[in-house]
Amino acid sequence: MITFSQTTIKEIEEIRRKYPTSRAALLPALYVAQREFGWLSPEAYTAVSDLLGVPEAIARGVGTFYAMYRNKPLGRHVVQLCTNVSCMILGAERLVDFLKNKYGLEPGGTTADGRFSLVIMECIGACGTAPAMLVNDDFYENLTEKYIDEILEKYR
Amino acid sequence: MITITINGKEIKLEKAMTVLEAARSAGIKIPTLCYHEQLEKYGGCRLCLVEVEKMPRLQTSCTLMVTDGMVVRTETEAIADVRRGILEFLLINHPLDCPYCDKAGECELQDLVEKYGPTTSRFREKKRKVTENLQDPVIVRNMERCVMCTRCTRMCEGVQGASAIAVISRGGHSHIEPFSGNRYDCEYCGNCVSVCPVGAIMSRLHRHSYRPWQVKENIETTCPYCGVGCTLVAQVRDDVIKRVVPKIGSPVNNGMLCSRGRFGYEFVGHKERLTVPLIKKAGVFEEATWEEAIGLVAKRLGEARDKHGSGAIAGIASPRCTNEDNYVFQKFMRVTLGTNNIDSTARMGYAGAQAFIENIFGQGATGNIISGLSNSDTVLVIGGDPTTVNPILGLQIRACSRRGGTILTVGHVPGLQHFTPMELKPGRRQETLLLECVVTALVSRKGLPGSNQRLEEKIKVVNADIATVAGQCGLHEKEMTDFIDSLAGAGTPAVVIGKELVQACNSGYRLFLACAISYLINGRIYLLCDHANEQGVLDMGCAPDLLPGYRPLSYAEFRKRYETAWKTTLPEKNGLNIFDMIAAAGSGALKAMYVMGENPVFNLPDSKTTVAALQKLEFLVVQDIFMTETARLADVVLPALSWGEKYGTFTNMERRIQRVRKTVGREGMEDWRIVAEISKHMSVRMHYADSGSVFEEITKVSPLHRDLTYDEIAEGATIYPYKGEPLRGATEEIRTDRGMTCPEGGLFLGIDRPLFHSGTLSRMSPALGKICPDAVLRINPETAATLLVADGDIVRVSTATGSLELPAVLDKHADRSVVLVSNIFEGRGVLGLMAAALDPVLGSPVLDTIPATVERVGKAKV
Ligand code: SF4
Ligand code: SF4
Ligand code: SF4
Ligand code: FES
Ligand code: FES
Repeated sequence: MITFSQTTIKEIEEIRRKYPTSRAALLPALYVAQREFGWLSPEAYTAVSDLLGVPEAIARGVGTFYAMYRNKPLGRHVVQLCTNVSCMILGAERLVDFLKNKYGLEPGGTTADGRFSLVIMECIGACGTAPAMLVNDDFYENLTEKYIDEILEKYR
Repeated sequence: MITITINGKEIKLEKAMTVLEAARSAGIKIPTLCYHEQLEKYGGCRLCLVEVEKMPRLQTSCTLMVTDGMVVRTETEAIADVRRGILEFLLINHPLDCPYCDKAGECELQDLVEKYGPTTSRFREKKRKVTENLQDPVIVRNMERCVMCTRCTRMCEGVQGASAIAVISRGGHSHIEPFSGNRYDCEYCGNCVSVCPVGAIMSRLHRHSYRPWQVKENIETTCPYCGVGCTLVAQVRDDVIKRVVPKIGSPVNNGMLCSRGRFGYEFVGHKERLTVPLIKKAGVFEEATWEEAIGLVAKRLGEARDKHGSGAIAGIASPRCTNEDNYVFQKFMRVTLGTNNIDSTARMGYAGAQAFIENIFGQGATGNIISGLSNSDTVLVIGGDPTTVNPILGLQIRACSRRGGTILTVGHVPGLQHFTPMELKPGRRQETLLLECVVTALVSRKGLPGSNQRLEEKIKVVNADIATVAGQCGLHEKEMTDFIDSLAGAGTPAVVIGKELVQACNSGYRLFLACAISYLINGRIYLLCDHANEQGVLDMGCAPDLLPGYRPLSYAEFRKRYETAWKTTLPEKNGLNIFDMIAAAGSGALKAMYVMGENPVFNLPDSKTTVAALQKLEFLVVQDIFMTETARLADVVLPALSWGEKYGTFTNMERRIQRVRKTVGREGMEDWRIVAEISKHMSVRMHYADSGSVFEEITKVSPLHRDLTYDEIAEGATIYPYKGEPLRGATEEIRTDRGMTCPEGGLFLGIDRPLFHSGTLSRMSPALGKICPDAVLRINPETAATLLVADGDIVRVSTATGSLELPAVLDKHADRSVVLVSNIFEGRGVLGLMAAALDPVLGSPVLDTIPATVERVGKAKV
């Protein structure tokens, strides 16, 4: 049985008060839970469900629908690379191959050392400066292979 | 009046409805898949598309409301084209394994594709592959077959209210799962199974053992489990019940069932059923012929009567048996043996509580329509969890909440926790005080209605003010006033009373307070009822003070009437009740006993005393369907036909009389027939050709059941007071004695009432056994921590009368001062450990004052 930190519990209770029903508070509450544990484990769902009084199955239904929730453990840093139209035209697929060959990082996968996970995104709203990606909450654009090397260097 | 035209046919409608409903009412078929009449409308599958003049696109008829002058076409080339397309899409990922699928033959997808579908697919890619999930003992999920209609989740969430399954993931990966992804942790109602249009969620009980078209008969009958009395349809092949399904439109349960009703039918064909009469010789049972066994019973009962007098014989009737069985049984006791010593386990609470309520409000006061609960604006629940005792009644309370009604509970009710109840949780010992306070506050807020002087006299004496009580109960004044305000403002309230009130200390007084609350807010009372025919057993006169038709024996006028009908003289004095019987057997005053369809050793408190008492009898005959703890003590055991093998009637808690029908054959006799045979051997002839002729006699002698026929019952029209006369004005003094004082502090033993079991029948139903295999000790995590008990540890729970070893289950819903054990499993029944006093008013045992100790004896298996 996992438990949230006191700050997380407070935050979720705070969120709960802002919404008319506990189900409405589910999205932000799950997000907070994910922040605390890195992903939404069955125990995390149970903990959110207990805190909000929303049935577990419903919480998990919501958490598996949206792409921004992680339902399996990820690496320490999450790379979210866009391969939608603009990024694709400007070489995003080459970058996917690059990550695979150089870092052993497959779409949806995690490096053997647990350092990075890669998630393929559908347009992150940076079409003008494509190709683009996020590493954790940091945003990078006009990507090239060399630039990616530099960026990833920063994340240990 | 709304007029619409569908396919050129003019249809006049009284009220607004959807186009689909309008079409159906006129016999026009529109294909559907996600639509289901029990569920909220969804509009997801698009198969029901129709053309509507002056509307730009095709419309989903299942969601579109009719308007006056609407012109609709349901079968055009354009529509057919769209339907073909939709079905082609659905089949992209569908395995088309109909030859292997249990649903084939009643599968809506199969029927639709056969009628509208493409014969070939243009899709060449690989199909989605998901292995069938067999992790659950009762429900199989085959998600390849799922068409994402969400009927199951809408059922589970919107009607059942369990919210145990959901659509997981999205797009082409969507599938239905319980939270664990494997085994269900749910109410196992199986209602998701009955609405799934394809073979994606199915029952494992009949897996690959029959095809829908091999069902010879669909036999409509009444559930053998609880007092709700749901209609079930038994599907039979080769003389075996293969499946039980509900019936949409049935009066009590309208297409819904609970786990017991749906999955609890296997006891009928259980291999341990008793089949031959047994006679104990030198302590060992030997098989005997019916002739021998019946002859022996007649002889021994006759001897006991002649030697010791009628008063030395007693009979226990059965809330599991039909009205017909019970009627003949009490007639045998009264006429053939000449004693009023007849009772049943209804004495454990239902009988006393009902008599108490009726003494205040008149006969039939608890006979309220279950489905009416959902239309109440306020439901007050006192004394337990209706969603486990009477599950389908529980659903009505959930529906009430969903419709905006207010749910108020005294104590914590786990089954209603997601239905925004207003809860008042006094310490277990303070409930009496709290109820007094509610009564006082209601009087000051609403005044006395003036219609029941006898009751008001008593109400005036009650006095407890909010501030003091809040302090003593550890509650906030605000939550109490909010609660009382809600009650006071209720327009159409209902009060649901459960066993936890009826079997508590002060139960008589608490019941008076509950009645007072109900009176002050003008509520209807629902008295929860454990057994399928608990009402019937009383109505048939299987009570020491009642004659058939629920007529008091003490009235000479009634006695006369039965004496004429039965051509006999009846003993004037009330007989012994079930507890007196055990005491009299123990003291040696009672010499012989006849037990029909009951297991007093297990189902009465304090098994040691019961066993010792029964062993003292000179003669004990037990008639049952299994070798029970009580049957083992008998001199003669008579095997009876069970529910499912005989015809008859049950009377549910609404006092609705309903038919029980034979579904499968077995050699043997119905309970009533065995009794009549014994009577014949004692030279008192009872002539009944079949259960119908027993019922006919009931309707002749019982003023309550006058002139009813089986045919009328089949129409479901037999709601209390039928065509007969209810009894008004039998008014004894309303008693308000408090009985024993509630002990403070310490740890007490309580009864766990699992949703999945009832006892004798359920423990012999393998599917229910797989869902809930054994007894556990439920304990609050905080209490457990102080005792150093961890989840799964083996603990010994002891009382003054004995002890049990069980695995502990930490349950946050349990009160800190109680540990709960069920009374279901052989050798591990909680009642056996409870040497209980009786409440002086209700005469039911006080079961919440048994001190218990819990110690850890073994570690949890990891
Ligand atoms: S069996 Fe009942 S409670 Fe369980 S998932 Fe199905 S509908 Fe829900
Ligand atoms: S499992 Fe059955 S009811 Fe549920 S969505 Fe799939 S096809 Fe519909
Ligand atoms: S609610 Fe009662 S009567 Fe209905 S199916 Fe369940 S056990 Fe049977
Ligand atoms: S397509 Fe990549 S950011 Fe929009
Ligand atoms: S039945 Fe109308 S959309 Fe499914």
